[in-house]
Amino acid sequence: MAAGGGATSSHDEHQESQPGKAGDKEPDIRFTLANERTFLAWNRTALALVVAGLGIVQLLPPFPRVPWGRHAVGVPLIVLGAVVSVTAYLEWRQIQAALRRSEPIPQSVLPKILVGTITGVAALSAVVLLVSAVR
Amino acid sequence: MLPGRPDDPSPGDAALPEDLEELPPGTAAARTRLAWERTAITFGAVGLAMLRDEPVAGLIVLGVTPLIWALAHYVSATAPPQARSRRLLLVTVAVTSVAVVAMAAALFSHGGPIRLR
Repeated sequence: MAAGGGATSSHDEHQESQPGKAGDKEPDIRFTLANERTFLAWNRTALALVVAGLGIVQLLPPFPRVPWGRHAVGVPLIVLGAVVSVTAYLEWRQIQAALRRSEPIPQSVLPKILVGTITGVAALSAVVLLVSAVR
Repeated sequence: MLPGRPDDPSPGDAALPEDLEELPPGTAAARTRLAWERTAITFGAVGLAMLRDEPVAGLIVLGVTPLIWALAHYVSATAPPQARSRRLLLVTVAVTSVAVVAMAAALFSHGGPIRLR
């Protein structure tokens, strides 16, 4: 998971992310602020995903002969929004802990989650469109 | 002296201290404040988008917008780590709550697959 270290158990992470432990020092404020901006950017992405999912469910006309189509496409995007937000917070904590210990920054899993889910939703959309057109 | 040679100090190098952490943070704090404001604006946009079909949920989300804006303005950039962690946790809880409300609206509102009655 880590790009070069920094993978710890969640218990250790929780303990070591607290400042004031032996060997920890508060990182340069520029790194802290950059980490915070990354967290905020992921949360804006999460909100955009939620709105996209809600828009698909509530604003699109129903697919002919596929009444569940809008929900099948929109609900995963809303769930992805929640997952992205929570994961962004956990990663912010991990990165902050790595900065305090002067360790390599762990690699983010969020791009993989985002790419995987959006690809799945795109494939599902294609299936729904085909089924509604062919049936 | 040829440019790019080791003995050719570029004009920028003269201003760099030995320890980069001694550099002033420059515009980092301003960029972060702008990121908070973009996030608050996004919350407002989401609330407005939800108002049409889910007025109560939309109003709640709109109510969160000034809270996010206030977090940016009233918690300083030099806040202690615990305060920083708490305000980011607050944003996470707010976004997750919006997602839960949106999910409920998608599943239970008119036309949804789950009927309450």
